Amino acid sequence: MIPHAPILAILIPLFAAFLMPVVGIFARWKGLKRAREWFAIAAVLVEFAIVVSMLPAVWGGQVLVYQLGGWQPPWGINLAIDGLNLLVALIVAGIGTLVMIYSFVYMERDTGLDQYYTLFLLILAGMMGVALTGDIFNLYVFFEIMCISSYALVAFRRNWQSIEASIKYMIVSSLGTSFILLGVALLYGLAGSLNIADLAQKLGPVASSAVIVPLALFVTGFGIKIAMVPLHMWLPDAYQAAPSAVAALFSGATATVGIYAMMRVVYTLFGALAIGIMFATLGLVTMVLGAFMALVQRDLKRLLAYSCISQIGYILLGIGLGTTLGIQGGLFHLFNNAIYKTMLFMIVGAIIYRVGTSNMDELGGLWKNMPVTGTLFVVGALAISGVPPFNGFASKWTIYVAGIEAGQPVFTIIALITSALTLAYFLKALNSIFLGQRPAHLKDVKETPRSMLLPIILLAVLCVVFGVLPQLGIDLVRPAQEALMNSSGYISAVLGGA
Amino acid sequence: MCEIHRGVKLDFIYIIAMMLVALGLYCLLLKRNLIKMVIGLAVLTDGIHLFLISLGYRAGGVAAIVSGDWFSDLPGFAARAVDPVPQALVLTSIVINICILALALSLAIYAYRHYGTLDPSKIRRLKE
Repeated sequence: MIPHAPILAILIPLFAAFLMPVVGIFARWKGLKRAREWFAIAAVLVEFAIVVSMLPAVWGGQVLVYQLGGWQPPWGINLAIDGLNLLVALIVAGIGTLVMIYSFVYMERDTGLDQYYTLFLLILAGMMGVALTGDIFNLYVFFEIMCISSYALVAFRRNWQSIEASIKYMIVSSLGTSFILLGVALLYGLAGSLNIADLAQKLGPVASSAVIVPLALFVTGFGIKIAMVPLHMWLPDAYQAAPSAVAALFSGATATVGIYAMMRVVYTLFGALAIGIMFATLGLVTMVLGAFMALVQRDLKRLLAYSCISQIGYILLGIGLGTTLGIQGGLFHLFNNAIYKTMLFMIVGAIIYRVGTSNMDELGGLWKNMPVTGTLFVVGALAISGVPPFNGFASKWTIYVAGIEAGQPVFTIIALITSALTLAYFLKALNSIFLGQRPAHLKDVKETPRSMLLPIILLAVLCVVFGVLPQLGIDLVRPAQEALMNSSGYISAVLGGA
Repeated sequence: MCEIHRGVKLDFIYIIAMMLVALGLYCLLLKRNLIKMVIGLAVLTDGIHLFLISLGYRAGGVAAIVSGDWFSDLPGFAARAVDPVPQALVLTSIVINICILALALSLAIYAYRHYGTLDPSKIRRLKE
């Protein structure tokens, strides 16, 4: 492991974000064409390498505790990294890298790219901070950094769609973050600490009637961020209006971070395993509603946005079941969802890049023009619908089995039916975009540019690898599941040094 | 640390803070003007800030900086100093809040340019 790796993973994108405008000015002055892009890609690659360098230690069962400024917990701020944190950090850094490579060509027609890359690196820094920190107020601050950059990224193109979507998103989401802040304030008043491990220990003897208000505030706040029904209204607009690269990042990384924050606060901090059944129920509602709404959409991006909501439902169901298998399935699905959802948004971006629209009524017969993109779309659609041999099948199967084992066969049946609905709306999308009659004006559409195809193909390969070798994926998420279920280990590792 | 807070009678400030939060929520959720909603957001977060800062307040307390004579009387200092942590939290939160307000107001300006209105119920073309 690189010394100071935990803090470097946050600082590198943060400082790169501040340097980006300077790099932009320098590039224009010297006439360097792609300096900004290469700088941004270098920054995320370094970040990814740092996160990977922490893997062996954490998977060896160690909890990395990094004390900022050398202050002992619970007084100082500390970064605490166990298997769960690292899984999320890995998803964030990996998806961030791939989307950055994708943005290289996808965003080239936009102006103001200095700001785009600055915001992109800032949101990465925010997500990495949420993923690695062990301090509840620090988590709130990084969460806000992530949210503010995401409002700005949604509004990036400044046309009426993006402004409208960004306003809706901001009003709802800043309400959520205010709730989180109020929750932090109540916790501080209750226990006089901000360290997650210390709080978890101090909240143990406190009466449950006292912690129920902060718990509800946190669940609402994070629930807004992950678009859990009934707090999902902002998501379809935001994903539809944002540039596809941004939507890919949101669906892959930001949603993951939101779910992580929810799990960490509810399961580790409050130790409230009992509200898992609420998550499972809300997860069911979320997945069914998302799937039905996706069925009637005519815009491919909006369809994917609703499908995003639906997939979040599966993850919540798995995690809410609270059994070893359920949490494993939920986390495995979290990982898989990041892979194929990012991939599908990238494919929509490629279609928009070549055709200029994502409205399915105006598209058709594109298979002849874009066979590679079409094949990749089929891989993504089958993976998300849970068809073997792709990764979605492996994780959904785990959740089904977990549902039956937990004595909730009804949950499994509903999840199975939703899976069929997912397949239905993706077949509809496939049919109206790549098959059928090709409108005359689409005759000259070209295949997706190579540098945009590269990240999509990489993700498609991952879909197949984790589908054929599901054990690999389970092994990947097992440290995270063990970490989530072993909160006393986390607490003693953080406070042990004190 | 908990004992410090419990010793202080600050119920009135807490009530005011929660009233501000409720007022802000009302304004954010029910007003039909973007600018007023942004003001509501500001009031809501200021209510939370007031709550947070009064958690660390102590009547007749001193600033939590050890200096001069206090070096020789550390237990006495600990008994009189206010809790500095909420102050640091509120300072951070105020800065974050300024960012959100600035961004929200600039988005409201853009919305007015595109739609000619600040009524959020009329800013909904995406639904179609």
